[in-house]
Amino acid sequence: MGMFGVLDISSAGMDVQQARLEVAASNIANTRTTGAGGAAAYKPLAVVVRSAIAEAQGAAGSPIHAAQLPMPMVAEVVEQDVAPKLVYDPGHPDADAQGMVSLPGVDPLTSMLDLISISRGYEANLRAFDITRSLLQRTLDLGRGR
Amino acid sequence: MLNADPVIALLSRALDAAALRQTVHATNVANVNTEDYHRLEVIYSAEQQRLNAAGPALDAQEALQWAQAEPEVVESTEATVRLDQEMAQMAENAVRYQALLGAIERTIGMLRTAARDGRE
Repeated sequence: MGMFGVLDISSAGMDVQQARLEVAASNIANTRTTGAGGAAAYKPLAVVVRSAIAEAQGAAGSPIHAAQLPMPMVAEVVEQDVAPKLVYDPGHPDADAQGMVSLPGVDPLTSMLDLISISRGYEANLRAFDITRSLLQRTLDLGRGR
Repeated sequence: MLNADPVIALLSRALDAAALRQTVHATNVANVNTEDYHRLEVIYSAEQQRLNAAGPALDAQEALQWAQAEPEVVESTEATVRLDQEMAQMAENAVRYQALLGAIERTIGMLRTAARDGRE
């Protein structure tokens, strides 16, 4: 693909981190979302990232052509299978007969760690994009001057 | 036309390899969260590694033959991508790339000087 294709891959990497950020923000924002009658209204979401040619990569040991390097993309956003958190709050309109309200099982610690990893991932892709761009720029300037 | 000068030909092959390395590091970084992703790396064939171990080539023609081998992209023995390691290698490779660019620039400068009968 040559060096210009690298910019596409780095952009795809940033898109993926963006999608992860949206999902993480949604999980954090919905920590207090309840459903009527003690039912869970919101389940924490997770992003599944796959690369376009992950299957072609299967043959171990065989060289990969530079034109078909795997480009990451968001395959799907799935609901995580986590139990809701039950909180005793009899005054809440969505409480069940026992006075329990069911809140989404969002783990605040995991969410915050996700945010850090997303931020680092985005930065790394941006840096890679920047390095590639400046190398291309310097190559284009080759032989110029004097 | 660039191949007219063996030094420039050699340098541009090395530049191609450095560009490929940059591509592969960027791909690894982009796929840091990809399911079932296996880290990629650039290697030379066994034959080339044997030649590399034999030491530097002697003259330009020998060096050109030496540089004929194509680098290959393969799955690394280490499956997971570590961002810090990837970024460090990318930075190192970028310096190498720029050094090669500088060397090409100077070689072209020498050719230019020769073309002007040594006048600057």
